[in-house]
Amino acid sequence: MNFLLEFYNYRILAEYIPQFYEGLCTTLKISFVALFGSLAIGTVFACLRLAPNPILWRLAASYVQAIRSTPLLVQIYIIYFALPEIPLLDRRLNELEGGILALALNAGAYMSEIIRAGIQSVARGQVEGAMSLGMTYIQRMRHVVLPQALARVVPPLLGQTAILIKDSSLVSFIGVSELFSAGVTVMTERLIPTEAFVTVALGYLVIYLVLLWASNWAQRRLAGP
Amino acid sequence: MDNNKNKTVKNFIIKVEEVSKTFHTKGRKPVVALKQVTLQVEEGEVLVIIGPSGSGKSTLLRTLNGLETVDAGHIWIDNVDITRKETNLNQIRQKVGMVFQQFNLFEHKTALANLTLPQTAVLKTSSGKAEATAMALLNKVGLEGMERSYPSQLSGGQQQRVAIARSLVMKPQIMLFDEVTSALDPEAVRGILELMESLAHQGMTMVVVTHEMGFARRAGDRIIFMDGGEILEEGTPQIFFDNPQHPRAQFFLSQVL
Ligand SMILES: Nc1ncnc2c1ncn2[C@@H]1O[C@H](COP(=O)(O)OP(=O)(O)O)[C@@H](O)[C@H]1O
Ligand SMILES: [Mg+2]
Repeated sequence: MNFLLEFYNYRILAEYIPQFYEGLCTTLKISFVALFGSLAIGTVFACLRLAPNPILWRLAASYVQAIRSTPLLVQIYIIYFALPEIPLLDRRLNELEGGILALALNAGAYMSEIIRAGIQSVARGQVEGAMSLGMTYIQRMRHVVLPQALARVVPPLLGQTAILIKDSSLVSFIGVSELFSAGVTVMTERLIPTEAFVTVALGYLVIYLVLLWASNWAQRRLAGP
Repeated sequence: MDNNKNKTVKNFIIKVEEVSKTFHTKGRKPVVALKQVTLQVEEGEVLVIIGPSGSGKSTLLRTLNGLETVDAGHIWIDNVDITRKETNLNQIRQKVGMVFQQFNLFEHKTALANLTLPQTAVLKTSSGKAEATAMALLNKVGLEGMERSYPSQLSGGQQQRVAIARSLVMKPQIMLFDEVTSALDPEAVRGILELMESLAHQGMTMVVVTHEMGFARRAGDRIIFMDGGEILEEGTPQIFFDNPQHPRAQFFLSQVL
């Protein structure tokens, strides 16, 4: 056991279980909310990107371009520090909300490109079938195209979600205590960076495995036969 | 058999006036698909469009429910000019059903759900009522017991029956058929043609693009021959098949008959 203690001092780490646990929960919460936000944003922008109206699709294209060409950390800082008071909320966003919003906006841009590819993979014939029945653009998207498009792009969306979860560590820079910052605490207080960050990494790995299971389930539900 | 209906007043449910359409594809020469096409269809009439591949038959059919826009000319469906920008095409399409060569079923939905979706989504029918209508129509087209099958689990002929039934749930006044038997084996072709003939006998207004000359002769009230985006000849099946006038129609018939 001495050999193990030298490499991975679980005795010191045991003292920090509450910090790691809370960090893990916060990371999960941030990722979960940002994931659904980004899926919604991604779906809306994918539809806008393919809309017949040139103003709409140019707007969506510019959004994706703007997100892709700037660092996420800068986006987080802009959202957190530069965004004024939100009218309905009557205050500015706190660090957690700002972090989640920035992550959702960022991942949403990437997701919209993935979802757009999924939409375009649904055979044109099915869209014409729906059109010939008098279904509107929104009805066609909602009932015919999106269910099939999303089922097909679950694997790349999963990859993007993994990126989102890893990127969520960046919100520690605006003061959110999540999994990564729990590792930083251990490192600075006890000077054991290996243990601190191997533990953090394991935490992210566990989240990913749970996610993998969830995506298999989602794919089966959407796909049909 | 004489299918011609005796009508005192001619009520044209479809009017096409000098419709032209050119396709522009990047890097290619523009293709003139329709050249000033004019035609009318009476209520209850079965109009059959024949002609070689690339002659503009599909394009003409697709302009009738606005799946294809026109460059010039006008089209009236039930006295509504569908080439006007203000016209709500989705409303027109509820009156004009269309059946495609490749069926175009919703692949992620069962046969039953393919028929209930347009009712609940477009007509806002309650799901119970939509299901009853769907079951009745699936039975009518000979698909009893197939309600829960997905398109991929059905044969081509069965898929086309679902597609026809799906169009019928909207209670259309007009049905458009674009080479609906071209992707089917001979056995299935016969079944689908019989189904179409029974629809014709029930008085449905139909515009049918087909290579099935037997069907055209039996079920058609009138034949149109197209080539190069133009209507070159028009007449009753007897006159057209027994005594075609235009050289290209004569040549076409000599190839297919
Ligand atoms: N979406 C399109 N884009 C470009 N060219 C097209 C398109 N649809 C049809 N065409 C062209 O228009 C002509 C008529 O086509 P179509 O109406 O499909 O003929 P048919 O149904 O009689 O075989 C053809 O030359 C075809 O290549
Ligand atoms: Mg065609």
